[in-house]
Amino acid sequence: MQTLESSQTEVMESSVDLLPDFSTEAYKDAYSRINAIVIEGEQEAHDNYVAIGSLMPEKVDELKNLARMELRHMKGFMACGRNLGVTADMKFAKEFFAPLHENFQKAFAEEKIPTCLLIQAILIEAFAISAYHIYIPVSDPFARKITEGVVKDEYLHLNYGQEWLKAHFETSKEELVEANKANLPLISKMLNQVAEDAAVLQMEKEDLIEDFLIAYQEALTDIGFNTREIARMAASALV
Amino acid sequence: MFGLIGHSTSFQDAKRKAKDLGYEHIASGDMDVWCSAPPQLVEHVEVESLTGKTIQGAYIDSCFVPEMLGRFKTARRKVLNAMELAQKKDISITALGGFTSIIFENFNLLKHQNIRSTTLDWQRFTTGNTHTAWVICRQLELNAPRIGIDISKASVLVVGATGDIGSAVCRWLNFRTGVGELLLVARQQEPLQALQADLNNGQILSLQEALPKADVVVWVASMPKTLEIDPLSLKNPCLMIDGGYPKNLDIKFSGPGVHVLKGGIVEFYKDIGWSMMEIAEMEIPQRQMFACFAEAMLLEFEGCHTNFSWGRNNITLEKMDFIGEASIKNGFSTLNLTKNVRAAIA
Repeated sequence: MQTLESSQTEVMESSVDLLPDFSTEAYKDAYSRINAIVIEGEQEAHDNYVAIGSLMPEKVDELKNLARMELRHMKGFMACGRNLGVTADMKFAKEFFAPLHENFQKAFAEEKIPTCLLIQAILIEAFAISAYHIYIPVSDPFARKITEGVVKDEYLHLNYGQEWLKAHFETSKEELVEANKANLPLISKMLNQVAEDAAVLQMEKEDLIEDFLIAYQEALTDIGFNTREIARMAASALV
Repeated sequence: MFGLIGHSTSFQDAKRKAKDLGYEHIASGDMDVWCSAPPQLVEHVEVESLTGKTIQGAYIDSCFVPEMLGRFKTARRKVLNAMELAQKKDISITALGGFTSIIFENFNLLKHQNIRSTTLDWQRFTTGNTHTAWVICRQLELNAPRIGIDISKASVLVVGATGDIGSAVCRWLNFRTGVGELLLVARQQEPLQALQADLNNGQILSLQEALPKADVVVWVASMPKTLEIDPLSLKNPCLMIDGGYPKNLDIKFSGPGVHVLKGGIVEFYKDIGWSMMEIAEMEIPQRQMFACFAEAMLLEFEGCHTNFSWGRNNITLEKMDFIGEASIKNGFSTLNLTKNVRAAIA
C-alpha cells in the first residue's frame, strides 16, 4: 500500500515554488530570447489581425481593435526586457516564427480565412495564453503585472477566433483539419525549441505542453469538434 | 451531473486503456508524453437509482499514473487540471478517486485555488471519504461474524487511526458498532493521543505489538515497506480490511485463517453502462466501484451539492448516518467475503 509521506511533501513543496534569481547572466541570456519571442509574437499577431481584417471587410474595425491591443502588449513586454536590463534577440525570434509566418502568408494569399484564424486566433493565442500562465507565477513583479493584464486580453482574442469558426464550422471543418495537420507540428517544434531557455525561467516543458493542449482542446471543443476528432488532431503535438 | 476523477493503476494499464478507447497517440507515448497529456473527459454515463431517480455523470481521467508520484509538480498539475476540467464542464459534484484526493491532501492543494482563468469552487468536490469510512465499518460489521468473530468481544486494530478515514472509522466503531477493544496505530503520537482522548477509549500500540492481538485489522494507511509478518503470529480467524489504495494486502497476508477483504468497495444493484471501472481492476466492473466514487453519485441522487467530505477529521457520525442511509436506499451494497470463503469456515 502506497501513500505519501507528509514530511517529504513539505520539503518538495518549498523547493519547487521558489522564484528564480532574475539578476544572473544565465537568466538574462535566456530572457533575451524568450522576451524576443514574445515581442515578435505580439507584432506578428498585430500584422495577422490586420491581414485577416482585409479578408473580412465587415469585421475590419473589430480586428483593427484586436491588432491595436497586440501592439500595446508588445510595448509592455519591451518594458519587461528593459526593466531587467536585457536586450531582446529579435533575429532569433524572427527565425523562430518564420515557418508559421510563411504558412500564414500562404493561407492569406489564398484567402483561406479558417486557416488564418486557426493559426493566429487559435494556435498562437493558445500557445501565448499557456506560456503566460506558466510564466506569471515565476516572473519578476514588474513583468507579472504586465503579463496578468495581457492574459485577460488574449482570452478575448482566442474567443474571437472560436466564435467565428463555430459559426462557420460546417464549411470550415475540412480546412481546419488540414490546417491543424500542417501547423500544430510547428507549434510543437517551437515549444521544444524554447524548452531549454524556458527552463531557466523555471517554466517547464511539460507544463507548457499540457497547458497549451488544454487551451487548444477547449477551443476545438467549443468550435464543434468531438472528443475523438480532437484526440486525433492533437496527436502531433504530443508525439 | 456528478463527476468522477480517476486514473489508471499503472502506466502499462493506462496505455492499454488509452489504446482501447482510441487514443492511439497517447497510448504509444512514453512517460514524458503522459506527463504532458491533458485530462480527458472519457465517458458520460446515466445511472438509475433503486428509487427510480436517474442522474447523469461523467468520468474524467486525469492522465495521472502512480509512477508519477515522485514528480511532485506533475502530480499536482494532473489533479488541479482534472478538477478544473470538471468545473468547466459544470459538473455539480465530483469525487476525487484513487491517488487524486491523497495528492490533494498531502500536497496541500488548497493553496492552489486559481488554475489559469478558473477559480476552483471547492463546493463542487468531495474526497468521498465519509462514504468510504461508512462502507469499511459496514464491511466489518457484516463480515466479521461470518468468519466466526464476535464483534462485541473482538479486538479491532485500526492502522492509520488518525487519518481522515481512520479517525472516522474509530469513532463509528467506538460509538455505534461497539467493539470489544480498539487498538490504535498511527505514525504520529500526538494526534493519536488526541484521538484516544476524544474516544475516551482505545489502546495506543506499535504495529508489531498490535497485529498479533487483533481479530480484525482495518488498514487505512501505508504499510511500512520493510514490514515482515509471520502469518502464524496472527489470530485465526483474522479479518483484514484493506482500506488503503492501491489494494495489495492480499499479497502480504496469506495465511491460515486470514481473510483479506478489499475495503471501501461497493456494488450497485444493476449494471452501469460504463467501461472505466475496468481500469480500477474491479472484479465486476459494471457494478463495483470505490465508495468514494459512489459518494458523488449519492450526493447527486440526494440533490446534496456540497463538498460533503472535505479537509481532515471533519467526518461526523451524523454525516456517516446520512451517507449510509443514502447508500442503501439508492441501491449500493458493500463488497463482502465470497461465499466460498464463508462455506469453508462453516
